[in-house]
Amino acid sequence: MNRSTPASSDTDLFADEVVIDPYPTYAELRDLGAVVHLPANDVYALTRYDVIRDALADPGTFSSRTIGFNSVVNEALQGTSLASDPPIHTELRATLSENLSPRALRGLRDQIHTKADALVADLVARGSFEAIDALARAFPLEVVADLIGFTGEVRDNMLRWGQAAMEVIGPMNQRTAENFPIAGELYGWCTGVRAGDLAPGSVGRGIFDAEDRGAIPSGTAGHIIHQYLGAGVDTTIAALGNIVALFSAFPDQFDLVRGDSALVPAAFNEILRFWAPVHAWGRSVTRDVNIDGTLVPAGSQVAILFGAGNRDPRHYENPDAFLVQRNPVDHLSFGYGPHGCAGQGLARLEAHAVIGALAVHAQRLVAAEPVRLPSNITRSIDALEILKVVPA
Amino acid sequence: MKKIVIDRPRCEGHGLCEEIAPDLMHLDDAGELILDVEDIPEGSPELTDAGAAVRVCPVAALRLA
Repeated sequence: MNRSTPASSDTDLFADEVVIDPYPTYAELRDLGAVVHLPANDVYALTRYDVIRDALADPGTFSSRTIGFNSVVNEALQGTSLASDPPIHTELRATLSENLSPRALRGLRDQIHTKADALVADLVARGSFEAIDALARAFPLEVVADLIGFTGEVRDNMLRWGQAAMEVIGPMNQRTAENFPIAGELYGWCTGVRAGDLAPGSVGRGIFDAEDRGAIPSGTAGHIIHQYLGAGVDTTIAALGNIVALFSAFPDQFDLVRGDSALVPAAFNEILRFWAPVHAWGRSVTRDVNIDGTLVPAGSQVAILFGAGNRDPRHYENPDAFLVQRNPVDHLSFGYGPHGCAGQGLARLEAHAVIGALAVHAQRLVAAEPVRLPSNITRSIDALEILKVVPA
Repeated sequence: MKKIVIDRPRCEGHGLCEEIAPDLMHLDDAGELILDVEDIPEGSPELTDAGAAVRVCPVAALRLA
């Protein structure tokens, strides 16, 4: 076995120009190697599909102890399912997903579809609209707020709290430093929240009931609610914004979905593959490990680049083309394995509802250039003016 | 002969396996995964479907033994 040193690059993964459009960087790094050492970030980046999927399936070697890229956030996340490894992870995950799995969400399907349909019909009727605030943000904020039972002040803070919770996972740069106080507001609120603060009959209230019954450990209900909000809002907003942007940019592909509603799930898979909502996610290497013929030493920090793996030509033919009929069911944007996105069932419900509603109500979306702001972890569109919508 | 094995605690009912291999497995009314066929002959078309179902499970709750 060849145990040479991985290739190295002076790329800064979190530089403004990289996080705004990481795809040229992903291609360069992928060409250098399946794993590339980045001294600027003190990480080993995983760039190709196979090594990413293998790492996600092997929590024994790639520990979630350091999913973030600064020690403060990693310390703060200790004890959550996000930052733990099996066997402890297994129990925490079960508690987290009990109310979030597709099984638990089955009853919500019709309600979510009705909401999406009404919202999209209204926007289409306006003739022009700003798609991020009016749809990509408005819809998941309403769905998640109703699901968890948020009311009043929290509802108003969900967007900024959710953005900050993702931003602080980055390295200790200016964006992370500026967002820690905001992420702290969320943490503080979740530490103090009580059953009575959440709407009766909501999932959030149910988590407190589970704590009262002893079904989950005392004092953990607030942490679970923290994860719903911290992990589930910003990423879903990114995915929904990408739906509108990509359907606007590729009208021929939108036409295919309009012509065949069975393509809705495939289209969402391709949207997630084409633009990954999460830029980089960490792991910590527990032992000396051979990755694609090179040695990554025990204790190294890894950066998993989901978006780079999703465009790996070794795995997907013509990977830079956006093709809704491709149906890449094994894309990496939800991660994979024991830590695979716990909210992916809800994300699919919301996205399928939005895609279905757009396909029914709109024939053509004409968009201005998407506005993007640099951010460490979530890659999302900040503003997307739909200048003209042709109704179906 | 191969066997499809579910890691029951890990299965969350995402149902992607059912979409790709509807002849081999389905989610029941409670959203629990039921294996309609467990033993799969080597070289059969069912083995291809079973492999695809294993591959598509987002939480790696299925394997072929």
